[in-house]
Amino acid sequence: MVTDSDHLRNQRIVFYSEDIERIDAILCEFLKLSGSKCNLLIDKEGHMVTSCGDTDSIDEQSVAALVAGSYAATREMAKLLGEDEFSVLFHQGKRDSIQLSMVGDRTILATVFDDQTTVGMVRLYARTACEQMEEVFEEIARKPKRSGALDAEFGSSAKGALDFFFTE
Amino acid sequence: MVQINFSLKEVNCKIVYYGPGLSGKTTNLEVVHQKAPGPSVGDLTSIATEGDRTLFFDFLPLNLGQVAGMKTKFQIYTVPGQVYYNSTRKLVLQGADGVVFVADSKRGKMDENIESLKNLGENLKEHGLDISNTPIVLQYNKRDLPDVYSIEEMEQALNSWNAPYFEAVARDGHGVFPTLKRLAGLVLETLNENHAPRRSPSVVAPKGSGGGSTAATAVATRPTETLNATATSSTGKSTTRVRTTVSAVRTSAQAPTVRTRTSGIRPTLITSPRRRKRQTGMWMGFIVASIVAATVLLHLAGIIKIWS
Repeated sequence: MVTDSDHLRNQRIVFYSEDIERIDAILCEFLKLSGSKCNLLIDKEGHMVTSCGDTDSIDEQSVAALVAGSYAATREMAKLLGEDEFSVLFHQGKRDSIQLSMVGDRTILATVFDDQTTVGMVRLYARTACEQMEEVFEEIARKPKRSGALDAEFGSSAKGALDFFFTE
Repeated sequence: MVQINFSLKEVNCKIVYYGPGLSGKTTNLEVVHQKAPGPSVGDLTSIATEGDRTLFFDFLPLNLGQVAGMKTKFQIYTVPGQVYYNSTRKLVLQGADGVVFVADSKRGKMDENIESLKNLGENLKEHGLDISNTPIVLQYNKRDLPDVYSIEEMEQALNSWNAPYFEAVARDGHGVFPTLKRLAGLVLETLNENHAPRRSPSVVAPKGSGGGSTAATAVATRPTETLNATATSSTGKSTTRVRTTVSAVRTSAQAPTVRTRTSGIRPTLITSPRRRKRQTGMWMGFIVASIVAATVLLHLAGIIKIWS
């Protein structure tokens, strides 16, 4: 029987460096081909996974949270219309625009681009990049789960960090 | 759900503030935003109505700092409390690693508290979680109001599974940090149990621990009684009142002890790359301005000649 803690444990996402390196390579290739400004890979809960391109002018964490929220809200809208989800979203601005594409069932690719490229180019290459990343995620899912991923000192170190941080 | 990213050396956890409308969820987040150390807290993002009621969620990123070589971050959300926003509440709750339930202590609000707690249980269930097994801390807010329910009444009505609870006056900042600290401790404790190699059981946060430079710690099996413990800080200049929960059935070995935190090595606080860049830019600007000013002064004093 699957308990709630088992459920939680299985749901946790662990990304290892070698996986992220492969994803980064796909994102950077997509950035070059599409002429976009930057790409952010965000998980459905709004956590950043990795990014590529010029992200200096962007508050990545806030953008990630809003992208996840926006995507979740749109998915609910899709369900009300009898769709599973809308796999691509597009927000057009005066200067910059953003396209959101679903990668597998747990991550979202947010592509920020300006008038140096076109929606068509971004959409065309995003499809290929998403397929490539889905393959990587499938491979990650097939890998046996490693145990003891965190340092043994994590618990005691966390206690110290909490005491320090929440000093009033 | 917790995301562990070994490439970025990051651990990301999601905390959600839940509760009935106008119970003080956004106020809690505003206080955390104001009181948390500058470099470790990001911008507070609110998606609110014109009347300043939360429409979708409030969001605050918090960097706890380096924990065993991993940057540990909390993404803190609030939900809209009003009954008819249940679909958005459900979305925000998705993937939550821990929940702070903010209850309104004002007399007459108990039905709303109970309905909201029931709604939390139902929404957690839809995400495959049981409220009694999820890291959750209750906050009894607005304790400063003249006509409030007693703690016993709040406990009896809301806390059937003996979750840790804190009294708070979020508007004044009281009880905000202890609540968040306790929940963050529970979340990291769960993470530690599941992902660190099993060596010895380590308690991430003491049961019912308070904030401040001193902490009153009680070994508790069941938090059913509230105790006020007064502890003096190591400097002796100020007195910190710490509220802690202890078991009603307590043996002498389980008596609450007042402990002063030892000054160990402090964890490094994370500064975002953007802030670091801005700080570097400020320093560079300052140095260039100093050189120009010195040159002009030397020229005016006649020591060097730049222009005739």
